[in-house]
Amino acid sequence: MADKIPFRTSQLQKELMAKYYAAASEARAAGVPVAWVTAVFPVEIVYAAGVFPYYPENFGALAAARRVAGKLSEAAEARGYFYDLCGYARCGIGDAYSREHPVGVIEKPDLLLCANTQCGSLPKWFEAAARFYRASFFLLDAPLVDEGNSQMVRDYFVQQLQEMIAFLEQATGRPFDYRRLEEVLQLSNEACRLWNEILDTAALKPAPFGFFDACLHMAPIVTWRGTREAVDYYRALRREIQERVEQGIHALPGERYKLYWDHIPVWPRLKWFGELFAARGALAVASQYTHSWAYRFDPDRPLESLAENYVSAYVNHDFRRRIDLKIQLMNKYRVDGYVLFSNRSCKPNALGLYDKSNEISRLTGLPGVVFEADMADLRFFSEAQVQSKMEVLFEQLASR
Amino acid sequence: MIQDLLAEFVEAVNFPGRHAREWKKEHGGRVIGWLPADVPEELIHAAGFMPFGVPGGHSGVGLADAHLQGWVCSLARSCLALAVQGQLEFLDGLIIPHICDTTRMLGGIWQHVHPLPFMEYYRLPRQVERPSARRYLQAELQRLKSRLEEFSGREISPEQLNRSISLYNRSRSLLRTLSRLHRENPGRLGSRMFYDVVKSAMFMPREKYTGLLEKLVNCIQKEKMERPASVRIPLLLSGAVAEPPEILDMIDQAGGAVVADDMQTGYRYFAVDAPEDGDPLAALAVRQLNQIPGALFDPRNNPRAAFLVEKARNHGVAGVIFLHLKYCEPENYDYYDNQQALDRAGIPGLRLETELGTSSLEQMRTRLQAFLEMVEGTADGG
Repeated sequence: MADKIPFRTSQLQKELMAKYYAAASEARAAGVPVAWVTAVFPVEIVYAAGVFPYYPENFGALAAARRVAGKLSEAAEARGYFYDLCGYARCGIGDAYSREHPVGVIEKPDLLLCANTQCGSLPKWFEAAARFYRASFFLLDAPLVDEGNSQMVRDYFVQQLQEMIAFLEQATGRPFDYRRLEEVLQLSNEACRLWNEILDTAALKPAPFGFFDACLHMAPIVTWRGTREAVDYYRALRREIQERVEQGIHALPGERYKLYWDHIPVWPRLKWFGELFAARGALAVASQYTHSWAYRFDPDRPLESLAENYVSAYVNHDFRRRIDLKIQLMNKYRVDGYVLFSNRSCKPNALGLYDKSNEISRLTGLPGVVFEADMADLRFFSEAQVQSKMEVLFEQLASR
Repeated sequence: MIQDLLAEFVEAVNFPGRHAREWKKEHGGRVIGWLPADVPEELIHAAGFMPFGVPGGHSGVGLADAHLQGWVCSLARSCLALAVQGQLEFLDGLIIPHICDTTRMLGGIWQHVHPLPFMEYYRLPRQVERPSARRYLQAELQRLKSRLEEFSGREISPEQLNRSISLYNRSRSLLRTLSRLHRENPGRLGSRMFYDVVKSAMFMPREKYTGLLEKLVNCIQKEKMERPASVRIPLLLSGAVAEPPEILDMIDQAGGAVVADDMQTGYRYFAVDAPEDGDPLAALAVRQLNQIPGALFDPRNNPRAAFLVEKARNHGVAGVIFLHLKYCEPENYDYYDNQQALDRAGIPGLRLETELGTSSLEQMRTRLQAFLEMVEGTADGG
């Protein structure tokens, strides 16, 4: 990967994320409440209510990528938040209790808004934070959906959105602005559409953009979704990718295989994985993680449509359906094999992966591997073990 | 007389499937299992099935390794291991409550590894303080009821459901009485025996269980005057399940007695009744919403901290033992706050990490003994 040409849009992202971190304190200075929100959360409502959304998971990912998750976690562990808990949560709780802040101070919330679509760790972390910061906590509860209950879960979610709007009206002292919500939904739609067009280019062979690139360019779809900034950013990125396609600049010179990667990267080892794959001509091209931000809202039915989109996150489905969804992505990107990340920090994604892997190989005939690690905490990473698992996969790919 | 009665409860706990197998043979009925906690057994019972609790197993936990990672709690792993080993062959169905990420994911894996004719989930709301929770919960109970009706092929009438609620309320009320008697004279049954009596409710047909329990309560009430109350160090146990049960033996042997708890295989199982007047489904929803605080709900403030302090004070316990299943995230997230509340109230606390199916408990015995000596000394000095 030494000859890989950096994206010029990366510079734009640096600026945008610097602006994001400054925006929280600016908002507070201007009397705008700062709300913690989760990554898969109807943030559109938060913007429309005139509240600034802050993403502590992004803080966790940043700490993980800079390899300080273990250090931050120590402060949490010393208080009895043990290392079996989610790595992001330990970073956030640890930072609250730490004197040292290697990635800056996690933003103090005025409100905490949490959806449990992703997991049950987030609400427990946010509850603990609500106690620490003495701020109020609101849970958007999303029971797991299947054919038998999807309508009742949507109804439940819509009713909770109404409760949340009342909660935000009370927090801001202003009536909720439904017209503003419509604008925000349209901006979200546009950013999601552009982001998914970008992700789709990974299906080209050879591809101009892969999953690891997507991990480095996804911060705006998470943190700026619902704003003009996100739309502008992904327009610029799409343009740059288009130019690369025309100029024949590929994500991986000499791409031989496409791989499906399940779930999140091992942040502190992102580069290591990229290089390991590149050396064998393998490009990770798709993941349910980066594809999670693919919302399509109907501004004429705002709450119903928010409920439909946010309740049906990948992770909020049952075993069978989730196998189907993985296979759909594998087919769409015509992958040659797959890598499933059994992330100790994320039970909803990791549990069942061994059986899912058997099922996927049975149904698709594709070779694949499940490996154990933690998205943030390197204490649970064994390089030799992971590497030898990958070698087996590369051998299978080569012999096909 | 009491010894014969107790032997029945102990046997039910030692051979959990015995009654279910016999009941099937006698009645030709079907058995629906459930995992802890909070699954409305009344619905299963009213549908004509025998409810059967699966609160963990103790052998062959490693057989779950191929399906559930080693860093998943041993309660879930041991339950699945029971199925893999063929020890739950009498189950016709299973209801798994979604009370954490693991239970949320377990059903699909179970159904893949060991398919059952009936697999359902009790997807209870995780927030309980807003009006939306009750409406959703009632819809969820209605859905579960319909699914049970589909499986049984007949409707559950409100009268039937009310009769089941009444039976379960009766047994819960008896358990609360027994719990009071146990608190008054904890040396009579001992902690291990008390929790065995509670647990055996999960393995026996409820009619039979309630009859035996009534006899036991009557006997103990009668002899109450005759026997002097033994002196024990009163303790409160907090966590999901009182497992492995040897821990209760250790507490008894070290001179302690568990006189209060908030466990799914303890007080949580019998603390709250469903109202008997009015719509029975609404009554089951009320019971759920009135449940004692636990890590499985996500309320705005952690009411469990105040609950533990109040319970510890009311029952005059010398210390609180947190019995946390290793890898159980919900318990661990609340631990700091709970322990802080105890510290502020001047109540000593000890956290033990437990695993079902583990062979080495000696280290735990040492820690328990040290804790009991410490709280006993404090109690004497104070």
